[in-house]
Amino acid sequence: MKKIKSTWSASLVFVVMMVLVLSGCGNSNNGESAGSSASSSESPSASTSASAAPSPSASASPSAAASGDGIANPRVAFVYIGPPGDGGWTFQHDQGVKYMEKELGIKADTVENVPESADAERIITELAQNHDIIFTTSFGYMDYTLNVAKKFPNVKFEHAGGYKTNDNMATYFGKNWEASYLSGIAAGKMTKKNHLGYVAAFPIPELIYNINAFTLGAQSVNKDVKVDVVWTNTWFDPTTERNAAMSLLDKGADVLMAYQDSPASLQAAAEKGAMAGGNDSDMTRYAPKAYLTNPIWNWGPYYVKKVKALMDGTWTNDQYLGSFTDGMVDIAPIGESVPDDVKKLVEDQKAKFLAGDDNIYSGPILDQSGAEKIPSGKSLTDAEILEMNWFVQGVEGTIPQ
Amino acid sequence: MHAIEMRRIVKQFGDVVANDHVDFTAGAGEIHALLGENGAGKSTMMCMLSGVYRPTSGEILLRGEQVRIRSPKDAAKLGVGMVYQNFRLVATLTAAENIVLGERSSFWRGPNWMKNKQREIKGLAEKFGLAFPVDRPIWQLSVGEQQRVEIVKTLYRGAQFIILDEPTSVLTPGEADQLFETLRTMRAEGKTVIVTTHKLKEVMAVADRISVMRKGKMIHTIDKKDTNERELARLMVGKEVVAQRDLPARTPGRTLLEVNRLEVAAEHGRKALDGLSLSIRAGEIVGIAGVAGNGQKELAEVLTGLIPWRRGQIEFDGKPLRNASVRGAIEAGISHVPENRMKSGLAGSLGLVDNLLFKSYRSADRARLGFLRIGRNKAWGQRLVEEFDVRTPGIDTPVQQLSGGNQQKLLFAREIHHDPKLMVAVHPTQGLDVGATEGVHRLLAKLRAEDKSVLLISEDLDEVMQLSDRILVIFGGRIVAELGRGEADREIIGMYMAGLHGAEEEAI
Amino acid sequence: MSKIQAASALPLEPAEAPRRRRFSYRIEIDPSGTRNPWWITPLSILLALVLCGIFIAANGMNPMTVYAKMIKGAFGSSFGITETLVKAIPLLLCGIGVAIAYRISVWNIGAEGQFLVGAVAATAVTIWFPALPIYGTIPLMVVFAIAAGGIWGLLTAIPRTYFQVNELVTSLMLNYVAILLLDYFVFGPWKDPKGFNFPGTPMFNDAQTLPALGDTRLHFGLVFAIVAVVLYGLLVKYTKWGYELRLIGANPEAAKNAGIPIKRHILLVMLISGGLAGLAGMAEVSGVSHRLMYGISPGYGYTAIIVAWLAKLNPIGLVVSAVLFGGLIVGGYSVQTIGLPSSISNMIQGAILFFLIAGGMFGKFRLRRNA
Repeated sequence: MKKIKSTWSASLVFVVMMVLVLSGCGNSNNGESAGSSASSSESPSASTSASAAPSPSASASPSAAASGDGIANPRVAFVYIGPPGDGGWTFQHDQGVKYMEKELGIKADTVENVPESADAERIITELAQNHDIIFTTSFGYMDYTLNVAKKFPNVKFEHAGGYKTNDNMATYFGKNWEASYLSGIAAGKMTKKNHLGYVAAFPIPELIYNINAFTLGAQSVNKDVKVDVVWTNTWFDPTTERNAAMSLLDKGADVLMAYQDSPASLQAAAEKGAMAGGNDSDMTRYAPKAYLTNPIWNWGPYYVKKVKALMDGTWTNDQYLGSFTDGMVDIAPIGESVPDDVKKLVEDQKAKFLAGDDNIYSGPILDQSGAEKIPSGKSLTDAEILEMNWFVQGVEGTIPQ
Repeated sequence: MHAIEMRRIVKQFGDVVANDHVDFTAGAGEIHALLGENGAGKSTMMCMLSGVYRPTSGEILLRGEQVRIRSPKDAAKLGVGMVYQNFRLVATLTAAENIVLGERSSFWRGPNWMKNKQREIKGLAEKFGLAFPVDRPIWQLSVGEQQRVEIVKTLYRGAQFIILDEPTSVLTPGEADQLFETLRTMRAEGKTVIVTTHKLKEVMAVADRISVMRKGKMIHTIDKKDTNERELARLMVGKEVVAQRDLPARTPGRTLLEVNRLEVAAEHGRKALDGLSLSIRAGEIVGIAGVAGNGQKELAEVLTGLIPWRRGQIEFDGKPLRNASVRGAIEAGISHVPENRMKSGLAGSLGLVDNLLFKSYRSADRARLGFLRIGRNKAWGQRLVEEFDVRTPGIDTPVQQLSGGNQQKLLFAREIHHDPKLMVAVHPTQGLDVGATEGVHRLLAKLRAEDKSVLLISEDLDEVMQLSDRILVIFGGRIVAELGRGEADREIIGMYMAGLHGAEEEAI
Repeated sequence: MSKIQAASALPLEPAEAPRRRRFSYRIEIDPSGTRNPWWITPLSILLALVLCGIFIAANGMNPMTVYAKMIKGAFGSSFGITETLVKAIPLLLCGIGVAIAYRISVWNIGAEGQFLVGAVAATAVTIWFPALPIYGTIPLMVVFAIAAGGIWGLLTAIPRTYFQVNELVTSLMLNYVAILLLDYFVFGPWKDPKGFNFPGTPMFNDAQTLPALGDTRLHFGLVFAIVAVVLYGLLVKYTKWGYELRLIGANPEAAKNAGIPIKRHILLVMLISGGLAGLAGMAEVSGVSHRLMYGISPGYGYTAIIVAWLAKLNPIGLVVSAVLFGGLIVGGYSVQTIGLPSSISNMIQGAILFFLIAGGMFGKFRLRRNA
């Protein structure tokens, strides 16, 4: 009898909670109904093919007209994969958000630690009910962002790193392979054993073209160098990253690059007396002596630009690809242990990128088997780079198929 | 001066008097056997010596000095060590670790500390003929080896007075002989060894002096050379004449149960039942008398389908009984009042109805198409509860909240309700007060009057003698004697229970 | 197996020592928890909210605003309610699964693994029979998922019944095996060839997707869960089989005396337990994520243990606690949108859990005067 009584009491608590809720939720109900009624007019032509050429914004021809009337006080939201304190990817986005907030004098909402699973779709949906523009800052949010974008045509969506768009969904990313090429130059000069290691997250094109760029950069100054790749299958897991880095160091690599969100690999390298770079942000502070350099992101100007565009009524659904030219991509200050002549090599190459007249993926380039992938005199387009699925010669490792 | 002297010891547990003004003495360099049936109060006496219990009144003297033993720690300080029937060893630690457990030493023991200890322990063990691997965890040791660890533990702690509680109950005969050798070595060292037991042969084999207890009282203390097994058996069971229950005379009916040369395996390759034969006729109560551990438990379990038998046949009601099938036994009409009602007879956390349903829930009356007939079963349960006068706050009350007597009534209600031809009742009045005991006896007599049979297995010889039409004495897994209702005599039964009869008797 | 025993468990003949009178009070444990007073649960929640309120206030926010937002996010709109139910579906299915095992004291903590192999098996149907119509695909996915989860459950049950291997260890270990199995498929042979190496299968087509309610994500799995919980309720309370389970759970020794084949029951129960978790896995891939992918379960199988535990294995309680936990997860993310760091919202979830469990524990102990 008592058993029934206690569950009954639990349900009572429940009912009380419900009453509490219903007494103060008019707003979100409205938002909800607006969202669902709008979704009936879903746009049928989402241009989702990967081969749709992503191109720098300068030359973009938006498939949807600019969104007309501006919004004076846009409500802006960001979805983060990790905590802002990860010291890497999310940290840089958070810096960008702070910059945007300061520049435009508005306040953005952020939701952190959102897994790239079905939970993400709920959180994006919830944000869509009372925001005007939502930035989803991880590749894995792509399909969820698209699903929600279709349901909320009046809300703008900005997805980082993906290739699917909608009338109200843009993508943004940067040519960070150019920065990887620069860190490759530094690494190729600094290695004594001609053995580099790469701690890589997922075997997706983003990693592959960065590993290739790093390798090409190293080979440009040291043609005997080889690059060992270990996959961690995680963006942020300091333990796994550390283990991967240790395994590379044990194999004999003396300069590491870690395309991960934490500085664990750098710290491992510092312990073993090797050098390393991380990803996304300047990691000098974690191990100044062992720090090489690495590509960094600078999202602030882009966030300012897009939110401002929304305010002006000029927002478009570009597939934006930033670079050194506009400052979205950059390279962290080169570590104190790197000699000046190496720094100069890097600076010179950076100047070429800044001028915008050097494509590192220009033939002849061979793949791992020695076959010529890019013939002499040919270069890859940005679109081709963004779907790269093969390693250049000199990379030791496999892409799981 | 006696090494150990216990004077006028009284120990009460609630209203039950376990020891009633007991005097006991033992000397140095002596093996002293404390003999008595289960429940005679031997273990309680020894637990007071080892500090587990404190006497209600009376005094204890060691080496002539009065002592107060308030805890096993006190006892150890005074040189008293006890080897309990259930060992107190940590299964995952090694033998040596168990022995040094709790020993005071400096915090840092150094790398060789354990090695030295192991050597020391090994030496001690060898001196007393107690070989066991010191560096193996306890769970890897045999029961006999574990006992040796226990004994060495007491020796290691410097015990002068060593008590062993039923030490041979877990041993094979060979191991028992080895143990006796050890005891003799201890005696030669001048230690006082006390062994509690109910096995007469062992007493005669190893003891110097013997004290016999019965029903909490000290009966007699005697030198071994002045006595024999026959006299000890008589002392152990006593001579009181028990008033027999007035059962109306009946002519027993057809043969209901026929057990023929039954053999049941026990642990360590021994046989729990060794060619046991018996028969029960309709409308009679057959009592099984015997010292615990002679196959009673296995006999009850094999008849109720809980354990298999290896050889022999059981025929019940004209048909062979299925081997090791509880359902087979239930459906054939054998009901079971198990030894420990809360352990295996009732589900304490469930209500009365669920407990009544145990054996009948499969019938069409109680369930239809796989669904229990809830309302109907409740009414049925209520009727049974009233019929058997089970006092309960409610029909859904967990049965663990009922008194022992009411639990037993509930169990009988269930077992009798399903209309058995034979009831196997094991210690049915254990732990019950006088009134409840009387109630159980009345129920058994009623079954008999209804032409049903009862196999009554009980350690209470009085109960067996009061109720049984025939008494079978079990010893070593066989029926060694059969006595009719008129000819039952405690002395004779006691003799058979101790395994003394026929040729063996002369051999002594 | 330790041979060390309390003094009260001495090898004494029962007539000698019926009771001791050493302490005038003793603590009793009532593992069934049936005598838990009704106010324990609300009090636990209240205490948790008060404690977290202090932390939230220290963080510079009004606790009442935060709580209102949390409840609003989980239950305050049709969107919140459907999302909460979406979360409750796998929790409820897995919860029923573990509850049925706990009824006979089989401590299955492998619902997570059973969930994952169910998801894998359901996906296998989409890979192997891509062109089936919905009326063929969905039932086949259900059958595959239940079978796979059930087999995963048996992998625990068989060693337990025949070799006395502790099911806690095997079921936990099998969770890791299941994770690796799933990873193998999504990183390997089933990886979407158009997915740029992202660890996931191709999206399911409409025939492989459980229908959803209107525009929401609330999918047909809710019907599975409701049917399962109703069947579970009927089964444990009103059937012969449920009675047998009750008996085994209450006293296996006595159940043996009643002629109940315990081993067979353990096998069957683990088959069902695993099957339900497997079904949950199917509902999740087919109803929510629409693909099998890396990290598909945020620990549903583990949360389900707490769900079952809080519900005291009671069917109505299972529904309530599954929805409560669904709401806790949904509401927890929701409060972030008003600027609360995720660590605080995690703390609220953790504290509510902790106090509920502590409250349940507390209710199990009784201080009793010795008779």
